[in-house]
Amino acid sequence: MIRRSASYAVLVAGLVPLLLPFYWMAVTSLKPKREVFTATPQWLPTHPAWDNYLLAWTAEPFARFFFNSAVVTALIVALQLVLASLAAFALSRFEFPGRRVIFWTVVAALIVPVQVTFIANFMTLAHFGLLNTYAALIAPYAASAFGTFLLRQAFATVPRQLEDAARLDGCSGLGFLWHILLPLSRPTVLAFALVAVVAHWNDYFWPLIVTSNNTVRTLPIGLGMFIGQEVTTDWNLLMAASIFVSAPMLLLFFFMQRYFVQSKLYTGIRG
Amino acid sequence: MMSPRVMAATRPYLYLAPTLAVLAAFTYFPIARLAEMSLRAPGVGTSLGPWIGLSAYAKLFANPLFWRVLGQTILFVFASVPIAMAFALGLALLLDQPLRGLGVFRVLYYTPVVMPTVAVAALALWMFNANGGVVDYFLRSLGIAPVPWLVESTWALPTLILIAVWKNVGYYMIIYLAGLQALPQAVLDAARLDGARPIVRFFTITLPLLRPTTFFIAVVALIGSFQIFDFVNLMTQGGPSNATNVLVYFAYQNGFEYLQLGMAAAISLIMFALVLLILGAVAWAFNR
Repeated sequence: MIRRSASYAVLVAGLVPLLLPFYWMAVTSLKPKREVFTATPQWLPTHPAWDNYLLAWTAEPFARFFFNSAVVTALIVALQLVLASLAAFALSRFEFPGRRVIFWTVVAALIVPVQVTFIANFMTLAHFGLLNTYAALIAPYAASAFGTFLLRQAFATVPRQLEDAARLDGCSGLGFLWHILLPLSRPTVLAFALVAVVAHWNDYFWPLIVTSNNTVRTLPIGLGMFIGQEVTTDWNLLMAASIFVSAPMLLLFFFMQRYFVQSKLYTGIRG
Repeated sequence: MMSPRVMAATRPYLYLAPTLAVLAAFTYFPIARLAEMSLRAPGVGTSLGPWIGLSAYAKLFANPLFWRVLGQTILFVFASVPIAMAFALGLALLLDQPLRGLGVFRVLYYTPVVMPTVAVAALALWMFNANGGVVDYFLRSLGIAPVPWLVESTWALPTLILIAVWKNVGYYMIIYLAGLQALPQAVLDAARLDGARPIVRFFTITLPLLRPTTFFIAVVALIGSFQIFDFVNLMTQGGPSNATNVLVYFAYQNGFEYLQLGMAAAISLIMFALVLLILGAVAWAFNR
């Protein structure tokens, strides 16, 4: 009994440093300018200034950035799912010379982040005149080593007999991948897709390297520019902008949370 | 026309081709390219410049700032990773109990993980701000003098470590929880029946059994922490007076501000080698 309430007490106490920042972000975003700096923090806005959101939204071409982020994220995740499914299909259901080497080549890519390769990749894309294009934002992420690995693990658990039965029914090759393997691996596919959406929606580093033009800039870059301008002045507007940049991911997370926090995504990775 | 047999034999390679092409072009080729760039003096244009041997490396090693940046990166990694992992394990142990309502905590503790780093940076700049920041207000109400979080050299890096821990702890917690839930229940029950005290059970049974999980998290966390860039670029620009300059930011600065692309390539390669070395050491330590 005591242990139980102690556990709850610690968990609740831990939520304070964790959630208070979110609350402070929300409250600040609704404050009129004169209530932002006060001697004692004002925990509730007396006159919620909803137009802060409109002011922030129009302070930079955020609509354009939002559109760019949506297009780039959707294309990256779609390409990753297609390429990873095909590669995982080959690695899990075929016997062929070089399979082990190829598998380890894919896995080893996990330890080479874009934060190492960015200068060389920047040079390559500049060479082909692709800077400031959607292609530059998408191409390096078109394949995912992580996704290939996860799907391979999931596909490998589907029993051989099922494949033989499917073939007898005239379902083989890509048909088997599409009609049997992918539906059976739905939780893994969905979990990977969600993690990829969050990663690429939030990505700040790579778009910073290859964009210098508002027509292709994404939301994190736009918010970063807004930080550069607003710091030490309009914190309320900056917090409002931070909220509408984060909101799609927070909503996605709260509606699909069981796919994010399920253990399936992590136990397969071990060893 | 290919015969059906040849078609069948080439099929797996065909399925793998797009993934391998992307990895070759954007992951493996760049490593060779970085090596080449670091040995030449590439200009801003497309020309790679003349071969200059190891002089970029020599210049770098003779630069005291490089060593400082290297040291600060290592300090950041080896402070933020163990702290975040310790908190993560503690939370995971609390959540791995047959108690009601723990699912809610699991979700809430994970929330910072899905936040964009840019939004976290904006929020942290506001909360740790020297002018009206709410963190200093809390300190003052506890009778503690305000801290020059991001303005003074001694405090800036620890502040970034604090923010990184806040952002990542939920991610490691979920992996630890997965590890805990996969432990053989029979062994844990046997220890409980033997009357071993919880603290003894934890150190003699749970922690050793969690070794593979701890190893996995350590690898993920080390790779991820060496990449620290966003908070530095958005919050401190490496300052004050380079106190938060780290390897990725230093490479970025050399490449895109000073237009020393060869130097930037050398820094990136050194960082990559360092990460491999540390991963090797961690793998050795865990699999001894």
